Amino acid sequence: MAECVRVDSSTSTHTMDKSITLPPDEIFRNLENAKRFAIDIGGSLTKLAYYSTVQHKVAKVRSFEHNTKEAASDKLYEISVQEEVTARLHFIKFENAYIETCLDFIKDHLVNTETKVIKATGGGAHKFKELIERKLGLKVDKEDEMTCLIKGCNFVLRNIPHEAFVYAKHADSEFRFQTTHPDIFPYLLVNIGSGVSIVKVESEDKFERIGGSSIGGGTFWGLGALLTKTKRFDELLQLASKGQHTSVDMLVKDIYGGSYGSLGLTGDLIASSFGKSATADKEFSKEDMAKSLLHMISNDIGQLACLYAKLHNLSRVYFGGFFIRGHPVTMHTITYSINFFTKGEVQALFLRHEGYLGAIGAFLKGAEEDNPNQYSWGENYAGSSGLMSVSPDMNPMQRARSGTFDMLEMDRLERQLVNLPLLQDPSSYIPDTVDLTEDALAREYWLYCFEEALDGVVKRAVASQPDIPEATERAEKFRQKYRHKLQTLRHQPFAYGSLTVRSLLDTREHCLNEFNFPDPYSKIKQRENDVALKYYQKAVKSLEELSWEQRQFALVRGVLAGNVFDWGAKAVSDVLESDPEFGFEEAKRQLEERPWLVDSYDQWLERLKGPPHKCALFFVDNSGVDIILGVMPFVRELLSRGTEVVLASNSGPALNDVTNGELQILTERIAAMDPVIQAGLREDRLTLVQSGSSSPCLDLSRLDKVLAMVVRERQTDLVIIEGMGRAIHTNYYAMLSCESLKMAVIKNSWLADRLGGKLFSVVFKYEVPAGKPSQDSAALTPS
Amino acid sequence: MLLSSTVDSTSTHTMDKSITLPPDEIFRNLENAKRFAIDIGGSLTKLAYYSTVQHKVAKVRSFDVLFVSVSQEAASDKLYEISVQEEVTARLHFIKFENAYIETCLDFIKDHLVNTETKVIKATGGGAHKFKELIERKLGLKVDKEDEMTCLIKGCNFVLRNIPHEAFVYAKHADSEFRFQTTHPDIFPYLLVNIGSGVSIVKVESEDKFERIGGSSIGGGTFWGLGALLTKTKRFDELLQLASKGQHTSVDMLVKDIYGGSYGSLGLTGDLIASSFGKSATADKEFSKEDMAKSLLHMISNDIGQLACLYAKLHNLSRVYFGGFFIRGHPVTMHTITYSINFFTKGEVQALFLRHEGYLGAIGAFLKGAEEDNPNQYSWGENYAGSSGLMSVSPDMNPMQRARSGTFDMLEMDRLERQLVNLPLLQDPSSYIPDTVDLTEDALAREYWLYCFEEALDGVVKRAVASQPDIPEATERAEKFRQKYRHKLQTLRHQPL
Repeated sequence: MAECVRVDSSTSTHTMDKSITLPPDEIFRNLENAKRFAIDIGGSLTKLAYYSTVQHKVAKVRSFEHNTKEAASDKLYEISVQEEVTARLHFIKFENAYIETCLDFIKDHLVNTETKVIKATGGGAHKFKELIERKLGLKVDKEDEMTCLIKGCNFVLRNIPHEAFVYAKHADSEFRFQTTHPDIFPYLLVNIGSGVSIVKVESEDKFERIGGSSIGGGTFWGLGALLTKTKRFDELLQLASKGQHTSVDMLVKDIYGGSYGSLGLTGDLIASSFGKSATADKEFSKEDMAKSLLHMISNDIGQLACLYAKLHNLSRVYFGGFFIRGHPVTMHTITYSINFFTKGEVQALFLRHEGYLGAIGAFLKGAEEDNPNQYSWGENYAGSSGLMSVSPDMNPMQRARSGTFDMLEMDRLERQLVNLPLLQDPSSYIPDTVDLTEDALAREYWLYCFEEALDGVVKRAVASQPDIPEATERAEKFRQKYRHKLQTLRHQPFAYGSLTVRSLLDTREHCLNEFNFPDPYSKIKQRENDVALKYYQKAVKSLEELSWEQRQFALVRGVLAGNVFDWGAKAVSDVLESDPEFGFEEAKRQLEERPWLVDSYDQWLERLKGPPHKCALFFVDNSGVDIILGVMPFVRELLSRGTEVVLASNSGPALNDVTNGELQILTERIAAMDPVIQAGLREDRLTLVQSGSSSPCLDLSRLDKVLAMVVRERQTDLVIIEGMGRAIHTNYYAMLSCESLKMAVIKNSWLADRLGGKLFSVVFKYEVPAGKPSQDSAALTPS
Repeated sequence: MLLSSTVDSTSTHTMDKSITLPPDEIFRNLENAKRFAIDIGGSLTKLAYYSTVQHKVAKVRSFDVLFVSVSQEAASDKLYEISVQEEVTARLHFIKFENAYIETCLDFIKDHLVNTETKVIKATGGGAHKFKELIERKLGLKVDKEDEMTCLIKGCNFVLRNIPHEAFVYAKHADSEFRFQTTHPDIFPYLLVNIGSGVSIVKVESEDKFERIGGSSIGGGTFWGLGALLTKTKRFDELLQLASKGQHTSVDMLVKDIYGGSYGSLGLTGDLIASSFGKSATADKEFSKEDMAKSLLHMISNDIGQLACLYAKLHNLSRVYFGGFFIRGHPVTMHTITYSINFFTKGEVQALFLRHEGYLGAIGAFLKGAEEDNPNQYSWGENYAGSSGLMSVSPDMNPMQRARSGTFDMLEMDRLERQLVNLPLLQDPSSYIPDTVDLTEDALAREYWLYCFEEALDGVVKRAVASQPDIPEATERAEKFRQKYRHKLQTLRHQPL
């Protein structure tokens, strides 16, 4: 009736000296600066965690100092690449057989650490204690296994979006990822190791093992080995996946000739596991017996979990442990069982990083003085292996773990991330408009699209570092890594949670960073900002000549036209590449005429005739024409109306999106030319904040804490979201508790097609939340 | 995930085992039998019938005033007249035998069944449909199927209501293995956990209201099936015997096997089973049949115990009865189930077992057929003379001695002329125990009284013969009485329960 650990007999029969060559580039990364080790040794797998600092290059922008004018030429600001040190958590999982090799490797590569202690957990920890202490010269400090498991579970649920998922074998998408709830407690964790532990978790520090069972993974393995003479767990699962349980199990119909209607039992229900083998004299196939065993155990655990969930009134039930760990067969049978017993009231939830929970928890125990829980962490897609392939089409043996190293890396984010306080219902908010794991056609298209664009991205990356000869080589490495990720995603779309355009974009950014291309667009952005700035005054002047009503329309068209300037969109980058002179006016001409694809401009105009908004939060998009000639005049008008404006821009670079650093400089320059902007800054009615994101998309549930604070303080009553990445790929359906305006030009013909429009169709979606006494809101779905 | 019946193992048996049935002892009073019911399980058949029994009663009668002068000569100075009369009373007969004997039994019944107007036999149990044709052909009765669960519950309600000391608690290491419960006036609600091939967990709220609230596919069939595969032992009883001799710790992974001791912070003791069969996953050695059977028995019993507890808690039920062929008088399974219930409820819930658990379906089916007679409006009493009693289950005895082959187990219940109820003045009817000393629990007292009754037997026989001076065969009958009662006393010496 316990635990997550396997007894360690499997490894004791293995030899420890399997020699493998560890590729230092790929695993045990950043060991040089590693500190704080933690290790979780299970019955067959070891999970190692360490904290390390990563030096990587970041592009910084800096306004030229006035006394160094001579270097300035005509450039607005200086770009410098600096080394920045950030914190990263590394988690590596490998077979116990490799533990000695790995320890040697660590010893050789561990350079300047002051670490004296390694936190250890898991049932195998005491077996390897002596070895670890001898090899690494670190003192092994044992931590309680269950505490570590729960700590780790809380951590991933809190920090990794799409950590939890529902498994549905026959659905269009096998995996349905859950959005991160702001409040993760209470929940039930059913850990199926050798035995089963059922733990109720009520808060960060309060949990109780409320039940358990001795019928667990060890029973499947043990009985399976006795019945089939198959000694490997994975092989047993494979046998099970090919078997027919009905030849071994006695079904209701075997007893009653059909269903047992008055009790509501269908004929196909298992009346007695292995009931047929009691009296039949025939031989049963290994496959059939393994399948029957699997059903027996999964159903039993499912029923117990349901009963405990009901008794304790819990609706979230997570399953983990080596019995589950990414195995589609067991996830399927457990899910089936839970559905059967709760009639769908409780969903079986699984975790992407379930195997790391103990190691994460042990690490966190050791790092308590660093207060890791006060930071936000983000999964680094470049350094993480992703969920193993579990497609039923693939041979399960292909996913055999021998010799593979599975990795998870998490970056400590500089700032804590929180929900936008203006989300109508944070718990149901889903940033992404299309879940590509569920939409095979869309997935095909976007994977193709990103693969197509890869050459261009590589070219740009090289071009961004013209003076560095080995840039080409790194760019090539980037290409390989990202292409490999794309290929993986083609087969395992669920590897990093729900596959979305956002996750594809983010993965690309992570990979670029990984190979020290922190901001390939920095020079392009710089040039565009320079050029656009020159037209600012002219643009403002021509707007001021218009009547109020004409001006409002021109301002909106300006934002939309500016948004056409986007290197991230394939159609546009083609044009920009071939014709750099493609101008603002040209862009306006390209715009769709009204009525737009989604058009609530009339309602917006009516609203503007009313009282000014108290404060507008504006999520901006691109550098250059977009921000300077499109957004700034719009902001200027809002300020003139008496509305305070908060400009939210990315914390880190993504494509040609304007970063907070760049926007600071741009705004100062504009303020120098424009008294309205200047007054706004001076009077603190125009504020620049960073979003906390480095993505071309926008997740309103993970925003910088300062932003949330400002939004609350200023009583923000209007949210403006601009651009395809932030307003269409994400947040198209986001419901806010205040007025919102989503503006974007569709610069992708496939997407335009999908939405019933065409290239350069306009989405202008002004919404007023239900219950607010105001004008009609725009239709939620495009015509 | 149910039920009381097992797959039909008998289909591999031959049907024509010829046995000679002693008519005096089984199928008694067949001549007047009416209303048959049959419950055919996977291995055992339970037959029920209602019959009237003619027997002599001694009646006393005041001498009639009118006849005083006429019969003056006979009256002498006696106060009242004693006469022996034939009286007809109703009796329920229940007989249990292996399915292998079903044909022989049906033939026997056909031959002895004389004057019955019965046209129908009520049938229940998973095996009922398999033998339908045979029964109809042999007996010329129409087989009328009744819902198995309904019969089971009806039967259970009946025995709980009518048989004092029907339910008992099993305690292997206690002074008395069996602690019988007094009959509660209010038997509802209760939970019935029927462990047949699978497990059905039924909540019973009233005579007519019950619900199968849960179940499990891990039941007696699983023990039998997995046990057969693991040990190549095909008989259920032999598997239990193996289990009773095994050590589960060589196959199961205990908490201490993982943690080197207890897991204190979670309150898990070192001896707790962490993983059933956990050691066989990776150890390359061979495991003994006994050890594997024992591990299997623990696994299944613990699982059922936990499920029963959870359902009892969820539905707020404190009385949990266990039945089905997995339990049926087997001390090994009663012990492991009891242990499991104690473990999971920390003693809050007691596992209760039933003496006549095997007859529930047959009783229920019979009652369904007799509904117009309103059997529930009468009180019934167990006839100790015609009932076999609980099988010997002393752990010292070789379990194989209790093998069922060829044995016929019987239960007879007499319909009492008047309905019996509590004395309304009892302070607490539910805790009232009529008997001052429970001889099952008091070995010394038991010894004495058994000896005492045996000593007194000669005197009783003598008195019996003397009471019928005019009847020559009285001596012979008195001798039969002596034998039967002495046999009962001997049985009680070994099986005080």
